[in-house]
Amino acid sequence: MKIPRFDYHRPESLDEVLVLLAEHGDEAKVLAGGQSLLPMMALRLAAPAHLVDIGRVRGFETVSLGDAAEVTLGALVRQVTAERSPDIARCAPLIHDAAPHIAHRAIRTVGTVCGSIAHADPAAEMPAVALAAGATMVAKSTNGTREIAADDFFLGYLHTALRADEMLAEVRFPVWPATATHAVVEVSRRHGDYALVGLACRVEIDGGVITDAALAFFGVGTTPVRVAEAERVLAGQQLSDDLFAEAANVVSVSLSPGADIHASTGYRRRLAGVLTRRALTRATTHIGGRT
Amino acid sequence: MSAASGLSGLVGQSVTRVEDDRLLTGRGRYVADVDPPGVLHAAFLRSPLAHARIKRIDVTAAKRAPGVVAVFTGADIARLTRPFPPLFMLPGLYTPSFPAMCADKVRHVGDLVALVVAESRYAAEDGLELIEVDYEPLPPVASIAQALSPTSELVWERAGGNVLYDFTDTFGDVDAIFAAADRVITERFSCHRQSNQPMETRGTVIEVDPDDGHLTVHSATQSSHALRWVIAALTGKRSTLSSLRRFVTDTERRRGFITAARQFIRDNAQELRRQDPAGMRAQFSKDRTSIVGINLLGIGLLGKDDYPTVKAHDIGGAFGSKAQVAREDIALAAAAIEIGRSVKWIEDRVENLTDGGQAREEDLAVSIAVDHDGTFRGLKVDIIIDQGAFPGFPAGAPGFTRIIKTMLPGSYHWDAFEVRSRVVATNKGKYVAYRGPWANETWARERMIDVVARTLRLSPAEVRLKNMIDESDMPTAMITGPRVDETMSTKKTLTRAIELMDPEAFENERRSAAAEGRYLGLGMACYHEAAPGHYEYWDSINPGTNLLLAERARATVDRDGAIVVYTPQMPHGQSHETTFAQIVADELGVPREDVRLVWGDTDKTPFTIGGTGGSRGAPVGGGAVRRASREVRQLIVEQAAQMLEAAPEDIDVVAGNVHVKGVPSRGLTFAEIAHEATVAKRARTEPAFDVTSTYRGHTDCGWSTATHACIVEIDLETGLVKIPRYVVVEDCGPVINPAVVDGQVRGGVAQGIGAVLYEHCAYDDAANPQATTYMDYLIPTAMEIPDIEVHHLETLSPGENDFRGIGEGGMIGAPAAITNAIEDALAPFGARVTDQYLPPTRILQLAHVIGHD
Amino acid sequence: MTTVPVAFAINGGRVEFRVEPRRTLADAIRDDLGLSGTHLGCEHGVCGACTILLDGQPARSCLMLAVQAEGAEITTIEGLAHRDEPHPIQQAMREAHGFQCGFCTPGFLMSAVALLAENPAPTRDQIRAELSGNLCRCTGYQSIIDGVEIAVRLLATTSDGART
Repeated sequence: MKIPRFDYHRPESLDEVLVLLAEHGDEAKVLAGGQSLLPMMALRLAAPAHLVDIGRVRGFETVSLGDAAEVTLGALVRQVTAERSPDIARCAPLIHDAAPHIAHRAIRTVGTVCGSIAHADPAAEMPAVALAAGATMVAKSTNGTREIAADDFFLGYLHTALRADEMLAEVRFPVWPATATHAVVEVSRRHGDYALVGLACRVEIDGGVITDAALAFFGVGTTPVRVAEAERVLAGQQLSDDLFAEAANVVSVSLSPGADIHASTGYRRRLAGVLTRRALTRATTHIGGRT
Repeated sequence: MSAASGLSGLVGQSVTRVEDDRLLTGRGRYVADVDPPGVLHAAFLRSPLAHARIKRIDVTAAKRAPGVVAVFTGADIARLTRPFPPLFMLPGLYTPSFPAMCADKVRHVGDLVALVVAESRYAAEDGLELIEVDYEPLPPVASIAQALSPTSELVWERAGGNVLYDFTDTFGDVDAIFAAADRVITERFSCHRQSNQPMETRGTVIEVDPDDGHLTVHSATQSSHALRWVIAALTGKRSTLSSLRRFVTDTERRRGFITAARQFIRDNAQELRRQDPAGMRAQFSKDRTSIVGINLLGIGLLGKDDYPTVKAHDIGGAFGSKAQVAREDIALAAAAIEIGRSVKWIEDRVENLTDGGQAREEDLAVSIAVDHDGTFRGLKVDIIIDQGAFPGFPAGAPGFTRIIKTMLPGSYHWDAFEVRSRVVATNKGKYVAYRGPWANETWARERMIDVVARTLRLSPAEVRLKNMIDESDMPTAMITGPRVDETMSTKKTLTRAIELMDPEAFENERRSAAAEGRYLGLGMACYHEAAPGHYEYWDSINPGTNLLLAERARATVDRDGAIVVYTPQMPHGQSHETTFAQIVADELGVPREDVRLVWGDTDKTPFTIGGTGGSRGAPVGGGAVRRASREVRQLIVEQAAQMLEAAPEDIDVVAGNVHVKGVPSRGLTFAEIAHEATVAKRARTEPAFDVTSTYRGHTDCGWSTATHACIVEIDLETGLVKIPRYVVVEDCGPVINPAVVDGQVRGGVAQGIGAVLYEHCAYDDAANPQATTYMDYLIPTAMEIPDIEVHHLETLSPGENDFRGIGEGGMIGAPAAITNAIEDALAPFGARVTDQYLPPTRILQLAHVIGHD
Repeated sequence: MTTVPVAFAINGGRVEFRVEPRRTLADAIRDDLGLSGTHLGCEHGVCGACTILLDGQPARSCLMLAVQAEGAEITTIEGLAHRDEPHPIQQAMREAHGFQCGFCTPGFLMSAVALLAENPAPTRDQIRAELSGNLCRCTGYQSIIDGVEIAVRLLATTSDGART
């Protein structure tokens, strides 16, 4: 199980990266942490002709709070940083809470947040978090910069809106509003496995009433999935166990998850409902005014 | 405790491990760490289809690839090797002869199609991508049900069907007993395909001596001698005719062979007389050429100039899988001989999950004839094993059915018993021994006993106690024949386990948990296992099998007093270097640091057909080592007696000091005695004392027993199962090293937990394997395996050597205890657990929380 | 075969050599540097046998290219002992009968060392969680967790407890 040959590039600047991507397009892959890409190459499921190692590019490792509205994670911000950075814990608590669910410690040391989002595994945490948090993906190429909303980013299984000559240079999370609460819940076969079903949720509350909700599921389809029907059920309603149960039911009937050797469709449907109730309960237990 | 000295008293203590000096510092030497000068690296092209004919194969591009040195197709290897012959013959069995690699037809995904040898494994894998193969797909046989269908495609043409083995054993008047009993309760059970999955994959390095071509085979093998003989038999260019000529003309060789053969026949006369010719008749009725094949092999061996040396070093676990002689090893040896260079193959994990050994896929229909009060009358079982495509070698599924047959009645009284055993071929990876290869007898029986108890509204523990063979019944025999003596202490383990679990307290706990929506269940399972079994046990498996039980050990004392013990055991995690040193040190009266164990090298260690496996290490390997040390001690004592001018019976050995009893100050060291003995013998190079002993264990080697008991907690929203308490009460006789025994038990239980809740070699309807990476084959982690309480009973046996094996038991008991606990937890929903594999989806289906969509 | 230069520190020494860019760090450590104590169990990042310390943090050496380690500081199992004095985790595992076949051992030791460097007094549950990225097929883990607990005690009584 050995990695196939490729041409190796180790650019030192963003510009060099973009020139290489412009030149090699489809034939090139960006190597950040490599925790998803390298095993696929070892299994010879992926064999890019060119690998553009961005590990030496300065500035990619920063977490910045440029203005008060957004927290920006560069392309090389490791998952372990997302887990431990006090800035991220405060401004983007969904990432902070989701990070410990990603595989195991040794993977998070090297794996990056942007890499996980760009890889777009539908069972992974980070894409769903980006979706629930309303993150913005910043794609760069020699043609300039595109900002892509999370809702428009995930197009299919391991397939995103990034063009072949673009790289995901950073991801911006809106700074968490004081009115918002959140939860990340998942069930996996073993600790650290990809989730059978997981849910990253953001709930904005005003005086015990839900003003906005985002429910982003992972492990239920070819992309992370928001369930708009359930979000509508929640919007404008007073917090209550009955409301959560209703949202859970809507989730169960709205989703059409696939079956595999780890779980049936019926199981995943049912679990998505259970997780909806659990996540909403966890997100709101500290909030008063529940009926 | 040792009868001979017992003075240092190491046996029974959790002394730290000798092995850890190197294994904890990164200085272990595994087969992947062996790199002879100029070694080349091999990779196999494996079939992507489950069943297909090879129409065309083109390796020209691969041969030209950078770094590639040679490419061999299945046809190339067929020209260089002999096929694997049927070794194990039983009435009702046909075993196909099979090639090292495939020339014409592939029989499972992962089957061996071509071999690339290159400067690096990277380059070898690049080469694989350039090989073109045209396949003509054949209908795959993906399940037991398909294999039983008369219209299914034949996996093995000569077999005339996909049922390779069909035999019924009957004990007692089954029909009468079933007719007379109050009721007959029947259930069908299904166990899923699992895999041994040692952390180290398989691997072999064929080192070719550039001067004389001698092969030194470094391999992760459980039996280095078996590997040596099979490589010698199946590879090499000498023709049958020249072999025969060589044998006839070479007087020394002929005499050597005849002497060895006479000795073998003398030593094993009883076993050889008992061989059953019906097995041979069954084999040859389907394939008359196989008798020719076997004889050609024998003749080939006779004329062989040079047998390979096999060396095994540290081994990263095996659990039965490395007891196989791999087809890959034969292909690699042939390739290395052909190109005259050393070749290394380290299996990768995908290969290991598809073709490194699978096990346990069995369907069992069980009927118990029982009276209303829970008294067992009769037992009927119909078992079908899915062996996959290729037969295990040297032993496989048909052999294991014989153990299952003998052990199915368990530790209970029965008036009658009948079992029909079938083995079918399918297009899947091969079925191998996996830690207690017969274990499904325990799972099905103990699961069924719970079903019977629930049906009769009795407590499962009560039903077990009522029917279990009691000490007061002994000596007696199992209905299948083997003697039952005090070492069959299952009932004692059950009684103790019931005390520990306190079922009444558990019922209170269950009620309060249920009030919180948590579902608890309690499960137990009991078994005894041949570890490795009395003489008649092996006779009941297959007459004459006792041939396998004998094992030798050699104990030497060098001129400098160093004690070296040679064993044919092939440790791979069981801590033999520690436990055997404990035994030898106690026997000789020396510190254990003075004892060194040599294993794994066929040039140095005594021959054995087996190796390490079958819970034989402590009883048989340990028995041989103990006997050899006793004999060498006697020689030391006699020499010392001469030197000290005393009678041998007045000599004592304490901490390496050999002295006349009561006069330790005037003692001799081993070095002084050895030196004197060497001078007396006028020998300079030989060890001063050198004893090789054979241990047959005819009267020892009884049973190990255990009761497993556990509590499960089920989350009915997620289907996740937790095991808050797991208790094992085991009896393997006197424990040599409690920490080692605990480790064996816990490791086995962890595999049993994995089997029920996590691990499945899933195949789709077209026999494509679905769990070919560790993302899909789920080995439980530290988060899934709870702490496991182990309690020891140490029943002594009357034999010479009362250590009994413990390697397999954990895995034998766990699936039954866990599935019983799960059914108990789901009893409020009327669940009946008939599958061994219970992932979250299945749990929620059993509780009727979800449907089957 | 194109090779590129790579340089990093390993077990206190500095190495510079040329590798094929596709070569994994694990293969480079084992075959180019001859440090065969680091083992390969799955080569796709699940079993953890190849775990090393990369700048003090645990990382899978099978999931990194050797070239990605440029400039890093790496510790393998061979670098745990200090002047022939075993690391407390090695002493502790010996005492606990932590392992059996020894194949998963290097990865567990490196993960445990990383854990103890950050959290010198982990609970049993924390030890389980942190070591859950390493698979062992022999022991059922209990003896390994016991070993880490013994190491916690040994480290508490030695002055250089934070050493890795």
